[in-house]
Amino acid sequence: MSTPNGAPDPSSDRLFTGEEMELSFGPQHPATHGVLRLNLKIEGERIVGCYPIIGYLHRGTEKLFELHPFFQNVPHTDRMDYIAAATNNLAYVGAVEKLVGLTVPPRARYIRTILAELQRISSHLVWLATHAIDIGAMTPFFYCFRERERVLDLFEQYCGARLTLNCMRPGGLPFDLPAGWADTCRRFCEDYPAKIDEYEGLLTENRIWKRRTVGVGVLSPEAALDLGVTGPMLRASGIGFDLRKVRPYEAYGEVEFAVPTAQNGDTYDRYIVRMAEMRESTKIVLQCLDLLPATEGGPIMAKRPRVLKGPKGEVYHGIEGPKGEIGFYIVGDGTPNPYRCHVRPPSFMNLQSLPDLANGHLVADLVALIGSTDIVLGEVDR
Amino acid sequence: MSLPFGLEALRAAAGDTLFYFAISPALKILGLVFLAILPVITYLVLAERKILGFLQVRVGPNRVGPWGLLQPIADVMKLLVKEDTIPSRAVRWAFVLAPCLVVAPALVIFSVVPVGPPSSTPGGLSGFVTDIDTGVLFVIAVATIGVYGLILGGWSSNNKFSLMGGLRAAAQMISYEVPQGLALVGPLMLAGTMSMVGIVEAQRGARIWYVFPQLISFFIYMVAGVAETNRNPFDLPEAESELVAGFHTEYSGMRFALFFLGEYANMIAVSAVATTLFLGGWLRPFPSVAWLSPLDVVPGAIWFALKVFVFLFVYIWFRGTFPRYRFDQLMALGWKWMLPLALANIFVTALIKLWLAR
Amino acid sequence: MTAWKRFLDRFLLLDLFAGLSITGRALFRKKETVQYPEERLAPAHRFRGMFRLDEERCIKCNLCAIDCPIDIIYIDWHQELNEATGKKEKKLDRFDIDLQRCMFCGLCETGCPTEPKSIWLTTKTYELATYDRWQNLYADKEQLEGWRGRPAYTDEEIAK
Repeated sequence: MSTPNGAPDPSSDRLFTGEEMELSFGPQHPATHGVLRLNLKIEGERIVGCYPIIGYLHRGTEKLFELHPFFQNVPHTDRMDYIAAATNNLAYVGAVEKLVGLTVPPRARYIRTILAELQRISSHLVWLATHAIDIGAMTPFFYCFRERERVLDLFEQYCGARLTLNCMRPGGLPFDLPAGWADTCRRFCEDYPAKIDEYEGLLTENRIWKRRTVGVGVLSPEAALDLGVTGPMLRASGIGFDLRKVRPYEAYGEVEFAVPTAQNGDTYDRYIVRMAEMRESTKIVLQCLDLLPATEGGPIMAKRPRVLKGPKGEVYHGIEGPKGEIGFYIVGDGTPNPYRCHVRPPSFMNLQSLPDLANGHLVADLVALIGSTDIVLGEVDR
Repeated sequence: MSLPFGLEALRAAAGDTLFYFAISPALKILGLVFLAILPVITYLVLAERKILGFLQVRVGPNRVGPWGLLQPIADVMKLLVKEDTIPSRAVRWAFVLAPCLVVAPALVIFSVVPVGPPSSTPGGLSGFVTDIDTGVLFVIAVATIGVYGLILGGWSSNNKFSLMGGLRAAAQMISYEVPQGLALVGPLMLAGTMSMVGIVEAQRGARIWYVFPQLISFFIYMVAGVAETNRNPFDLPEAESELVAGFHTEYSGMRFALFFLGEYANMIAVSAVATTLFLGGWLRPFPSVAWLSPLDVVPGAIWFALKVFVFLFVYIWFRGTFPRYRFDQLMALGWKWMLPLALANIFVTALIKLWLAR
Repeated sequence: MTAWKRFLDRFLLLDLFAGLSITGRALFRKKETVQYPEERLAPAHRFRGMFRLDEERCIKCNLCAIDCPIDIIYIDWHQELNEATGKKEKKLDRFDIDLQRCMFCGLCETGCPTEPKSIWLTTKTYELATYDRWQNLYADKEQLEGWRGRPAYTDEEIAK
């Protein structure tokens, strides 16, 4: 062991002093899910320090928001967390509606909930695929992407794009559902739990998977609250905080679903929580699909002027995205453009926990931890 | 008494001694390596990609030739024309020697593995290059030499991460040599001889493949074999999501190809040894059951090949299914579980043999 | 019972065999690969592909250029006298879309007030690659109208 100024510590009972090596993990690395750079201080195999360096994907999104009117900014929100574009859209349009004071009609609310939950399923599928392949299991990747193709096909049939959706507008939705979409969606939701069982059969009880993930990166509830961690990471540490239950938005107040939590806060628990969340999302979508026919033919856009002028004031609206709480803080100044629009990205906050989690683990565990925190650099850097 | 392929004339010209001690083994080795092993290795690469694809509900390579059958040729051509780089401060002799040290032992193992029965006529073509009395010991000893190649490759690259990766790979291989060797003692005790041909003959005599009485031994040998060849789930030294790209970071072109050739040759060698010791080598299923004797028309080499392919398929199946063990868990598994289990197996086998001999 | 079952599970490696059986069953399933370019997946009806412009329907109101979030539509028009009807009408000089930056978000299409729309994206064309990097920087008026050399699955006349 070395003392802070680098000299060997004579009082340590280790016979040989280890050498600390500084290693830059990334920004180009197959396992860092984007351009994340982690400066690691390692002693042999153990990590003694981990310093994330971000900003490689900064594109000035928050500045771009100020240059255009509210409804034109929706495509910009797609590109922050590019894996879960619909929830980004939803947070933004929810914030704008809160600022301007629009009420979304019920049909639009149900459809938006369906889109958000489908997006949650798709985002968790990407998480599972990349997490598994980082730990070495290659086949869940292909199985997950096969299911994700069906979700993306649903999105394509609805709004025309698969990844950068631009599927919501302040006040409602741009178009109504195409014919037959509800049936395709229902069929997907009925097939899907069997597929989750398949992934679980490959991984959940597998002893190699358990050895790689149980006890790795334990996040205590106090530390999670201190660091501002939200989403499945928080719920895996035992705190059952889910914005869909605490402050229901859209149609979440009208559907029944459970919020899965776990006790230990390690990587395995985060995996269990996210798998259970996928099942709950399926249930929510099926319930919303049942509520839809009652609103058949209803409006999908609130009554609003063509050009929305944001009144002077500020608003914060957060929703439960797949990675955590994604929030928009918008300041309006009477013009059609927002004066300031700040994003609270969940991955940014969750990334703050990574140095604490990684300390003391081996380098191979770091890869599992990055996958388990489920960060998307587009969101971290904006 | 006549040898095929016009070798009779060669024998007459060279004389018996020279022929049987030098020319015949040399021809057999060359034939074995170039006509049998190397093509099998290159097509094993394709088979792996196709089978992995099928496991992952996708089609593997299918563009180059029908069903991708020309893909290995395309790969070999690509690797041959790649630039051959040697890092400027690398240790040249070790850098060049390392791939050879990985490939050569794997190929040498095949000289004692019998793919077919000994020739029924004296002086005829038998199914092995040579049969020595300590065949199993020879196999274990030669396989260990392959570790030098990894260490030299990792060290000579003048790259911190190659060194770490190479040392890790070497540590993993050495620590799984021990349970592997001990697992092989089980069939040895049952057969009473270390000669590979002798063990297969003993399985014919005992009328049962040794996998059934020695199931634990077989299992340990399989697992140790997967770890020896650095395959999933024990492939941490060469996994790209790990920090170090392993001992073969600095290698490019044909040298890199030789490392992979060595790995696949090792896979086939481990499968071949397992087939010989546990699955009855060239024997057909149920060798002593008379009413199945019409199956004897199939030559022993075909049965051998089928059994080896089953093993190779299982290797690829493992790769497609399991996550990877972390390095310390891997070592713990080898030393804390495999080794005691192998020792216990030897103990129990010996006790049962003693009790049966009373 | 559970301790005995756990012991058996541990030593019989049942979880590993369960995993192997799942992938083993996948061996015999239909493959998901689409052999491009012999087979192609047909995009959905609302797929936001490459643009198509209809100059006669366009009323040169500039709304698509205003609505674009990244301001990549450049429109120039002038007034001239139409000999046949004797009325002054707008003529389109230039309608360029900067294809380097276009993100195919569809806001220009939503903004177009004509019925049916004069610019629309549902052409189901996504194969926009060229061999020459200078070829596809801007899509000018003729390109958007004529579709020189572009494969189009259907010629959608109505946007929605």
